[in-house]
Amino acid sequence: MNGNDWISDKALIDAIQQGDRDAAACLYHRHIDRVHRICHRIVLDPSQTLDCVQEVWLKVFRSLGRFRCQRSFAAWLNAVAANTAIDHYRRWKRHGSRVDLDDPEVESLTTDERADGLQLDDRVVRQRIQEALEEISVSQRTAFVLRYYEEMPLPQIAEILGCREGTVRTHIRRCLLALRARLMAKLNQ
Amino acid sequence: MDNPRFPLEEFKSLLPDRFESQERLLSEYHSFLMLLEQLDRVPVPELSARQKAEIFRQSWQGWPQGWSWAWARLGLLRRPAVTFAMGIVLGCSLMFTVARSRAAVPQPPSPSQPLAVERAGYTQIYTGKVVDRLYPQIENPKIVVERPQESSVPQRVLYGTLDQGETYVVWNL
Repeated sequence: MNGNDWISDKALIDAIQQGDRDAAACLYHRHIDRVHRICHRIVLDPSQTLDCVQEVWLKVFRSLGRFRCQRSFAAWLNAVAANTAIDHYRRWKRHGSRVDLDDPEVESLTTDERADGLQLDDRVVRQRIQEALEEISVSQRTAFVLRYYEEMPLPQIAEILGCREGTVRTHIRRCLLALRARLMAKLNQ
Repeated sequence: MDNPRFPLEEFKSLLPDRFESQERLLSEYHSFLMLLEQLDRVPVPELSARQKAEIFRQSWQGWPQGWSWAWARLGLLRRPAVTFAMGIVLGCSLMFTVARSRAAVPQPPSPSQPLAVERAGYTQIYTGKVVDRLYPQIENPKIVVERPQESSVPQRVLYGTLDQGETYVVWNL
């Protein structure tokens, strides 16, 4: 429990708009883990996640002066995080990059030190899951992540992705079916 | 049996008309629950305190410090009610200015116009080629039709000059 939890996001935003750095730090620490989680699950590559998270907070601090408090800050932040992660992933893919889980540097960020056969199996399973997730389109993956990891309602996801609720359902359905098919194939390799 | 994160009802709505029996539906549902369990095996690595501090430091540098006062004021202007009220005030001021300038500046009759009519209250002033032809001896003739009130009988007066402006003519018609 943080000592500043009783201060509302709105009060912190008002203070930030007056240039209060401590209020900005408080708001940042309140939401950073969620932003990081969303970015990581959409971008998938730990080496890109930090840049993406920073991009999100740069946008947030630059736009806070124009933020209207009629809307929930958390909902707005989720939208900024998800859309920034989608753009970041697409930009990164255009430059021909891809997740290389055999890269020792990446491996050290994604897995624990393997001490025995059980951890090795676990690492292989994680790698297969990661590969399967990477093969799903970023829009489908984002809809899935927001629904099942962040437990957002469908209308909110539709608003974030700028599409209809029916499209979100289609994204999730396709993601689930594709993930199951790919994961089963990969785990049976 | 039912997973709150992925309820059976939601599963049915996502994949409607896909299963021929209840057993098949439940079996598929369980296979997807297992899929979610598998996915949960990929944890999100936590950010260290140092990484968090560094991201904050760099992001906060992007904050337009010197503009905080102006940002706050601009934020006020972006509120719909304030913007709407400002639009109304601006629109009314503009209309008032335009209406006043129209009333204050009389439109000079164009020499090519056959008949120009200028209105000010209940008074009408007629000038132009038609009036010039009616009174060819009079210079710059104009007929003024005046009414003190809307219901009163109009009074028609011809104004003009003679002898190159030496004599002023006022003639009740």
